[in-house]
Order: sequence, then C-alpha cells, then structure tokens
Amino acid sequence: MISQPATRWIRFIRQYGPIPRNDNMYDEHIRKSAKRAGIRPLAFIHPVEQDVLAQFGPERKERRSVILTGTAGDGKSHLCGKVWTLMGGSEEQWNSDDVYYTLDIGSGDESLKVHVIRDLTALPPHDTKGRYADKAELLTRFCDLLCEPDAKVQFLIAANDGQLVETLQRLPTTDNVARVRTIVESLLVDGRRESPEAKLTLFNLSRVPCVALFDLALDAFLDHEGWKECYASSVADGFFGDRCPIRHNHELLKSPLLRGRLRSLFELCDCNELHVPIRRILLLFANAILGHADAKDRLMQAADVSTFLQKKTTAKASLFNNLFGGNLSEVRRDSLEVFDYLNRFRVGHETSNRVDNILIFGEADENLKPYFDKLLRADTMYGADDSYYAAQRSYVEGDDTDPANDQFLRLLVSQRRGLFFKIPPDWEQELALWELTVFKYAGEYLDKVLKPLRQGGRVERPFLARLVKGLNRIFVGMLVSSDRDLLLATSISFSSSKVSQILEDRVPVTPRLNERVELVLKHDKPTLHVQFSPTISATLPLNLTRYEFLSRVAEGALPGSFSRECYEDMLAFKSRLLSRLNERRRGEGVTDTNTVAFHLLTLDPAGNPLDDVVEVTHG
Amino acid sequence: MASLATMLPLPPREDYRDNIMWVDEQLWGHRLWDSESPWLLFLEFLNVAEASKRNGQLFSNGGHPLLFKPYKRLHLRNILFNNEVLTRISERHPENGSAWNAWLEWMSVNAKGVIPRDFSYLKGRFHSFQQFVSLVGILRGSAVESEANKRWSSRFVFPFGPNALYEDLNITAAGKVSREYINFGRTGELLYLMLCRSKKKDELASRFAAMLSGNNQWNKLLTLFQPDEAEDSETRANSFLPYTGHPVFDLLTEDWLHVLSLDLPGFDAMPHLVTLGAFHVMLYQLRVSSEILSKHLHFVCEVVAPKKTLVRELSAFNYQENSLLSQKAVEAYLAGIISSERWQLARSQSSAFAACKAILEEQFRWPNDPEDYEGCSEPDALAAELRRAAIARHKQHVASVHRQYGRDVGLVSKRGTNRLRYAPTDALLKTLVLANVSRRMEYKEFLDLLFTRYGLVFGEREAEQVLLHEDFEIKAFQTNSHRLEQRLSSLGMLRRLSDACAYVQNPLAWGQS
Repeated sequence: MISQPATRWIRFIRQYGPIPRNDNMYDEHIRKSAKRAGIRPLAFIHPVEQDVLAQFGPERKERRSVILTGTAGDGKSHLCGKVWTLMGGSEEQWNSDDVYYTLDIGSGDESLKVHVIRDLTALPPHDTKGRYADKAELLTRFCDLLCEPDAKVQFLIAANDGQLVETLQRLPTTDNVARVRTIVESLLVDGRRESPEAKLTLFNLSRVPCVALFDLALDAFLDHEGWKECYASSVADGFFGDRCPIRHNHELLKSPLLRGRLRSLFELCDCNELHVPIRRILLLFANAILGHADAKDRLMQAADVSTFLQKKTTAKASLFNNLFGGNLSEVRRDSLEVFDYLNRFRVGHETSNRVDNILIFGEADENLKPYFDKLLRADTMYGADDSYYAAQRSYVEGDDTDPANDQFLRLLVSQRRGLFFKIPPDWEQELALWELTVFKYAGEYLDKVLKPLRQGGRVERPFLARLVKGLNRIFVGMLVSSDRDLLLATSISFSSSKVSQILEDRVPVTPRLNERVELVLKHDKPTLHVQFSPTISATLPLNLTRYEFLSRVAEGALPGSFSRECYEDMLAFKSRLLSRLNERRRGEGVTDTNTVAFHLLTLDPAGNPLDDVVEVTHG
Repeated sequence: MASLATMLPLPPREDYRDNIMWVDEQLWGHRLWDSESPWLLFLEFLNVAEASKRNGQLFSNGGHPLLFKPYKRLHLRNILFNNEVLTRISERHPENGSAWNAWLEWMSVNAKGVIPRDFSYLKGRFHSFQQFVSLVGILRGSAVESEANKRWSSRFVFPFGPNALYEDLNITAAGKVSREYINFGRTGELLYLMLCRSKKKDELASRFAAMLSGNNQWNKLLTLFQPDEAEDSETRANSFLPYTGHPVFDLLTEDWLHVLSLDLPGFDAMPHLVTLGAFHVMLYQLRVSSEILSKHLHFVCEVVAPKKTLVRELSAFNYQENSLLSQKAVEAYLAGIISSERWQLARSQSSAFAACKAILEEQFRWPNDPEDYEGCSEPDALAAELRRAAIARHKQHVASVHRQYGRDVGLVSKRGTNRLRYAPTDALLKTLVLANVSRRMEYKEFLDLLFTRYGLVFGEREAEQVLLHEDFEIKAFQTNSHRLEQRLSSLGMLRRLSDACAYVQNPLAWGQS
C-alpha cells in the first residue's frame, strides 16, 4: 500500500510537469496547492535575491527604483513577494487579486513611499481605488522619478521584457520617457543592471545563467523530504520497489555522471544565449522522472507503477528519453522551449560509426563486446532487453524493406540518448562522446576554452589556431591553410565577395608590437579579440555555434553548409575588422604617393598563402 | 496632391524635338526608363554627379540648369573591353618587346572611336607586358554586370572613382561615336535631380565629394591606362524633373546618408546605394501616381512561405493593383484637363476643335505632327485619341518601371509560384536594415518604420491599417512577421532577447560588439 504522503508528493511534483494545467502554475497557485497538500514548496534562494532585497533594506541610503524583468517563469512574482514581506507588507493583501500596491514606511524626513506593480501587463488602465488617473500617468510618474530622483519614493515593477519595452514605447513621449526608453533598452540588450543616467536598477532574470538555476533547482528537487516518504512506502514489485521506474529515474538524476552531462547541456545553452526559466527547469525534472508515453498526460502517478511493471513497459519510462521530451507528443514537445533547446543538440539522432557499431554489432563482436556489456547489457532497466535483441537481430538479418527496421531505428535513438549519459569519463575521448550531439566540438569548447578562461588562464595554441584558420578560409574564400596570421582580404570591388584575392593586411596571432589575436572572456563569454593598435580592436563573441562553425570550416566544411547565420556573422565581422584597419591607417596618416601597390593572394598546393606584390608608378 | 503644387512649368519645346507628347514627362520627368538596371541607373547618376562636381555644382541650385560633360574614356574602354586578343598575344610572345609590338600593331588596326589609334603611351607605364595583361584581367573582373552579354561600348568598369566613369556610347563598325540611351536611359539624371532637390543635399554633397575624389589605388591605377591629353567631351543637357521637392526625394537622401554614415570599408556601401536608388525611383513613380489618385500606397510583402498563404494571395492582388496605378494616374491627369473649365469653355466656342487642339498642344505638346491625329474635327474625338495614344505610349516603358525595378531591387518576385508579388529578397532586407537601423531597433518598431517610410507591410499591425476588414486575418500576418524574424535572424540582423522581445540589429554599425 502506497502511503498518502508519497502519493501526494508524486501528485505534487506531477503538477510541475507538462500537464495541460501547467500554464496556470504561477507562483501563487503553486503556493496554494502546496498548502492544501501539506507539502513544503520547492524552494531555493534565487541567485539575485540578495541583491534585489538589498535595494529595499532599511539601511540603504540611496533609493533606486527596481525593475524585475524576464520571461514567464523566471521568478519575478516570487521575488516581488519577498520584497513585499521584507518591507512589512501584509500577506493578506499580497494574496488578493490586486496588481498595484503602495506602502508608506517611516515618517517625516525618514518617510518612504514604495509603489509595487507586480505584473505590469495586468495593471488595469484605471484604478478603481483612484490612486492613479490612468496607467500612462502612473508610468510617466515613474519615468520622471528615475530622471528627477525623489529620495522619498521608490518603485518596484515586475514585467515581462517585451511588454516592458512595448509599454514604454506606447507612453506619450516626454523627455524623461524618451530617456527611460533608451536606458531600459540598453540595459536589456547589453545585459547591465544600472546606468549612471537614472536611479534605476534593472534585474533581468533571463540573464541569470540557466546552469546556476539548474544547480539550485536540482538540489531543491532531489533533496526534498518528499522522496523520503517514497522510500518509506516502497512496495516490492511496485511503487519505489527495486524495479520502479520512478525510483530508478530519481536515482539516475542523482548520479554524478548523469547530472554532470545534463549540466553541460545547460551550460552550453547559456553559451548559445538560450535561456531556460526556472519553471521550465522544474518541468524538465518532473517530466524526466515521471514521463511514460502510456500514462495519463504522459506522466506517471504513483499507482501506475505496478501496472507498467506488469505490462513490462518500464522501458517507456526511460529518463534518457524523457529528458528530451521523448514521452510527449510532438506538438506538445515542440511547444515547450526547454525541449526545443535540448533537442537542438540532436542527441539520439547524431552518431558516429563506432557508437552505432557498438549498438548494432556489439553483442557479437569480440572487440566491441566490453563496451556493449557495460553500456547496454549492464543497464537492466533501459539498456538492451529482450525486445531490443529481437529488433536488432531482425535488423541485421532482415532485408532493407522490413517495416520492423523502423522500430529498431527508434530504439537506437533511445539507446544513443542513454549512451550520451552513460559513457564514463575515461571513455569520453575514445568513444567521441560529443559526436553524439550536433556540436562535436562542444566538449572541447567547455574544457579547453571556457574552463581555462574562467580560471584566468589562456586557451592553448592549437585551438586558437584552428579558429583563425576557419576565419581565414571564410575571409579569403579559398581553402587556405594558414593559421598564424589572420588574413584580411578583399576583392577589388567588395570586401564581402565570395573570393577575396587582394590582401589588405595580416594580423599575427602571436603578439607583435601592438597586434595580436587572442581568446578572452568578455561578459563571462569567450570572445575572439583582434588588436590592431593600443586603441583599436575588434571583437567577436564566440558562442558555441560559432565555435563549432569555425572549427568545422577549418577542418574542411564549406562555410555555407553548416549555418547561414554564422556565415553572415563572419562576413559582418570581417567588415568590422576592415573598418578598424582603415581607422588605424588613417591614424598613421598614409601618404599619398604615386605608387599603386597591392598584394595579390594565391595559394600553393599545400594551401599556404603566397602574396605577389604588384607595384606600378604613375604620373 | 501635395507634390503637384510644386510642379514646374514645361521646359522649352525646342529641347525635345523628337518627343511625341508631354504626358508621362509632365507627371514624372524626362524620363523614367524601364530597361535600365539599378547598377546602370547608379552609374548614369554617378557620371552626372562627377561632371557636376567638376563644375563646382554638385547637388547645387536644385539642378538648374543641369549642364554636364561626362567622360568618354575610349582608350580605357578599348583596352578593357575591345581587346579579346590580349591574352593570346601574351601567350604567343613571351618576350616583352615583341609582345608590346604585336599588341600595339593589333590595336592600331582594331581600336574604335579613338584618333589616332595609338596606344604606345602604355609601354613605359608598366614593368612588363605580362603585368599589363594581368592588371587588365583584374580590372575586367570587376566590371559591373559583367554577366550581361553587352557590346563592348556599353560595358562598364567598377566605379572606383572619376577615372572609371564614362557615358554609354554607341560605336559603329566604322568607328562613329554617338550617345546611346538604351543603358543610360536618362533615369540616372532624374535620380541626380531628385537628390539635388532634397532637404539634406548639402550633407550628401560632402559625402559624394569624398567618394568622387577617387582617392584610392584602383582609381589611380586607371590613370595609367589613359593618355595624358584631355579628351573631347560633349555637353549634355535637358534633364527634366517636374517637382521642386517631394517627400520621396528626402527619404532617398536620408537612406543614402544613413548607409554612408556607416563608413563601410572600401566600396561596400555602393551596392546598397544602388538598390536604394532604384527602389526610390520606383517609389517615386508610385507615390506620385497614388497622390494623383488620392490613394494610400502600400506593399503587402510575403516572406516566402513553403506553400500558398493568404498573405501571398493578398500580396499578388496588391501587386496587380499597384501595377495599374501609373496608368490610372495618366488617365486621371488627362481627365482633369478635359473636365477643366478652360476646356469646357473652348469646347463651347464656334471654333471648338481648334481651341481645344490648342489647349492640348500647349499642355501636352500633342498633336505634334499632322500624322498624330487624322480623325474628325471633334474635340471629344481628339481628346479620346490623346488618351489612347498616351496610354499606349505609357505602356511601352514607363508603366513597366514598377515591375522591372521592383524585380531588380528584389522586392517583386515569382519565387515559389507563377504570379508576381512582393517577396523581398535577403539582399533587399539587408539594405533596408542598413538604411534604417543605426545600431538596433525593437522589432515591432522596425516593422512600423518600414510601413511609415515605404508602405511595406509585413506584420499584423500594419496589415490591419491598410486591408479591408474581410481580407485581414491576424494569424496569417503574425506568421508572416514571424518568418521575417527568422530570416533576419539567419542574416545575423536580429537578436531575440526572450520570447517576447527582439531587436533588429545593424551588424555593420560601429561600436557594437
């Protein structure tokens, strides 16, 4: 018999999952539902919580208004509520349906009036209590306050970023409104919190790295006492028994190997500027543990476990598959950005010959067998089971047209996903772990670029050289193999033409005088930095996609074949580099001579650039 | 009809003896020419601008009077484009002296339009014949629209500077040289006048003065190919643009200035100026037409979808409507005269036919020749014949400007279907971003700007303003706008901050990282 608390706990976390009702799971609803079930809500201290609260602390001298922005599910309302409590606002009032609150604190010289708008979108055009004439008037007042500070007034506004920008856009334009628009825009785009021009602190919760949220949320989720209830009510051959998929998934999620790999994916999302809000991270965990294609809403309840064990369909609860929304319908999966983002890695669909050989022939092949045994046979829950062996045999022995082949190919997707999380660290290199994703340089990006830079170190030479080679191939439009200099080439008419044979200049990778090419960390992101002179430089933020793109081009891929966007980005970068070069030349005061001289670029058979100097004198 | 208020009087008749009537000319100028590609239009414009700069008149006086002497540069053109033996001679004569001799001899027989046919000045200017040949190859490779198989006297080297500019010529087999109007159809002169009459012409003048100074090595290199003696050039005149000012002129100048202010390296700004030039000439024609007809001008743009969509349908329909605008404007303009008091008075006179004919002769310079009208002596019949003749003439070239320029700049296309509609290409989108976004702009604001400046409709908000209620479907335009967003993003010109907030960004703007 499953205990009440255990059932309630599973039911509670199920509410975080991709059930149809989830769209309404805002902070307040979660709190109410937890209260009803007598469960402590999942909670952790948000990475910016201290900073937000500090803006409102009694000891604070300078009063800055605060905007909390971010996408839905980033924790705006939650943080607003914390501020409200800190300021001594009543819980009862906060639990009402109101959107706009004011609070008077202190008196005389010490007095302070705090305005809180907890959801800008929901703010009514007119206030039934008559505290503001209309929405525009209130917000114009807010803009005035930012530009002409009044130490006795402070605003706290929570708003989705798009609606924030749009609301400001629609306000009747005054000088102050126009200033605030520009300030907010630049804070949002540049990812900064404060501007010297206004008494405003903007916390963009979408800028908080999702890997940080991942760590906090996963700890809060796994360490919750609800799981203890489950172990306590374990049923042999049923809920939380040895073969219970919920329990197995929970334990898998706890294992350092799986956690580390999943964390890498989140870190890489950050590196590609993809943000997953807290609500979706929790949704992912709930789905990972409870997902099963045959369950109601495709998420298991405690009572489903024994049924699925009897039907021998526990493989459908595979956490490896659930992490990518494999248990959900395609439409549902595509509508949730967390699965969209994770599926961009194409884990399960990308592979290498070696990995597929292990999966298909590993059981019978002497050399591959150790891998097969450890990675598939040993996993009695989601590894190779009877149905896998049967499908594999018919695939190997059957003919191409056998409809059963499709079934096996689907199983392969699931197994490759499993391998991505099961390959132990000491096999990572050998089995080329990251070739199981579309970003085969992702592991290198994390270990050899991001990590040393974050530790204040340098990126090893070969990795930088490869990037330079990739850039050179794009800039020149020929299969050049040079990686010691960045070649800035143009065609005689346009700098961005496909083949550029006029060499304008070379920037050495190894520092020479004031010139150099290096990888640095800027805004916590790897950035390629090209220095032309002490004051002239250009940078290219190197997100994962660009890193992959340049690396692949360096190793022979055609620039147009991987990402059109990246190709355009590189051409724009080249244009900026050439502009900087011109700037330096102007600064050097190039003299007008009668000599026309230019460098014509050709390649030797090894791809080394040769430049012929063509020189003629006129007049 | 704001623009008509600033209409100029007709220019002297004697300047346009071959002109059959003055109808399209009075509405849009002399002249809109449909078979001039955007690049040729721009080159023609540059020739006028360069010659005006030489006179110290760049963009000044509203272009009154516009007298200019463009270059012919026949030596250069013979070397670059009338010289197929060059490589063969260089292969057959490895020895420098004999190569020069063989080539100079060939030129002395085959060069056209130059007297004397002497190219020996080249010999001392290059290190070797081989070097000369390779430089000719490089310059030839830069030719504008080199893929079009044109005769040599209508081929143009890339406009590096004054040394690369020359007018379109016809050169007969016998070597007789005359001005050719097929490639340089005088629309470039209109473009020049449009800029002369814009509010920011002075700012533009300083930009173009720098551009036309030719302070770059390619322009210098071209000096080597031309003899030291100054060439004979002829004065060109009689350009006519009927308005002293128009909002489109200002828009054009602003767009060009915006692109030029980006300080793109080398000649990278030029393709954008080319596209914008032709785009604004097309806009000019349609704006004037819609003003005459008191209609709102807009372009429903489809961001190409994999299959047929409502937006595509509406766009094709909108394209059809706009295609008829200029013809309807001609009709309305003529109808305005026929319904005028003056005409009615003339019609009621005893010598009605002669009086009415005099009005048409004065206003439209028609009938110009006794053969132009051989019908009965009835004012109504005369007016009907004018209308027929004017429309027939309009349809020959002027009516096609919308389609032709629209296609050339990348606005009008048949991609994915068999009907023409507005489906902007990536290149046009990029140009529009460079011309409008200094650094970045919120996506919806950008859509609004494209609508208010050019009448381009992509998203639901703009569509709602111009479409009939029954044609408007919010979802269809939201999808269209979403597709545009993805396209811009794939061009590196859009950055999405969250699902609710995106910025269009100018990837070539200074100061951005």
